[in-house]
Amino acid sequence: METYEFEGKNDEDAIENACRQLNLSREEFDIEIIEPGSAGIFGLVGGRKAKIRVSVTKEEPELPDKEMGIAVAKEASFSGEENGVAVAKEALENILALIPMEGTSVLAQQVDGTINLNIEGDKSGLLIGRKGRTLDALQFIVNKIVNKSLEKRTRVLVDSENYRQRREDFLVQMALRMGDKAKKIKKPVATNLLNPHDRRIVHLALRDDDELGTKGRGEGALKKVIIIPKRYNSSRSPKRES
Amino acid sequence: MKDLISYIAKALVDKPEEVAVSEIEGEQTSVIELKVAKEDLGKVIGKQGRTARAMRTILSAASTKIRKRSVLEIIE
Repeated sequence: METYEFEGKNDEDAIENACRQLNLSREEFDIEIIEPGSAGIFGLVGGRKAKIRVSVTKEEPELPDKEMGIAVAKEASFSGEENGVAVAKEALENILALIPMEGTSVLAQQVDGTINLNIEGDKSGLLIGRKGRTLDALQFIVNKIVNKSLEKRTRVLVDSENYRQRREDFLVQMALRMGDKAKKIKKPVATNLLNPHDRRIVHLALRDDDELGTKGRGEGALKKVIIIPKRYNSSRSPKRES
Repeated sequence: MKDLISYIAKALVDKPEEVAVSEIEGEQTSVIELKVAKEDLGKVIGKQGRTARAMRTILSAASTKIRKRSVLEIIE
């Protein structure tokens, strides 16, 4: 018997996710609701995702623990993509077990071809690391492992304790603050060295501001983002303003 | 620590049977030596050393947990 965990806006949604990903109808597995999920205040703040565990009761030949995920996925005629989810989940679980991280579990989901892996139970933030470096390293390695066995390139995102969202919020706030500063002092302002993903967030945060432009500066994977007020004249020669 | 590096390396290379990892334990710092088949060297190092760097980052996180330091050496 195989068990999987799924998330959704509410338990109905989670069950639908399960059906879609496992390619089964809901009569074919047992559903256990782990967290019913709540909409939060006005459906805005404090909303929690519903979490369910499903046990597929279909008869499968007994297999050694390790290969189970992949082998079952293949035999149950899963598509290649589902296979990727199983490989990704297993790889991350194995790495966590060897660190060793007790009390953590991995939730796997595939949305639009991207595999989302969510590590639960790391209260210490050890797996996140400074500025998410450990999380990025885990993500990089799991990506490598998954794409080694798949033909089609699939992106794997690894998250823990909602770090990705928190980081994005922080970067957007920072970008807006620096944008205001650039406008006020009428001079370009530079961020710290950021990785491509973080730079993208900064560029996008200021994209709709007509008074500001953004540019990357530096060499290699880490670059700074320069936030430039539009009327700023880099040559410092007097020019007519339109 | 040794098993962690061994698992990751084996998952990345084409010839997992040629992956050899040894650990030289010191009082505070241990050195993990990773050996792979010649053709697989690039796989464990990666473009601009990215894979090697990622392995080192995971290794230091794991070492922090047992209050030690570990260094990863990739042996040619």
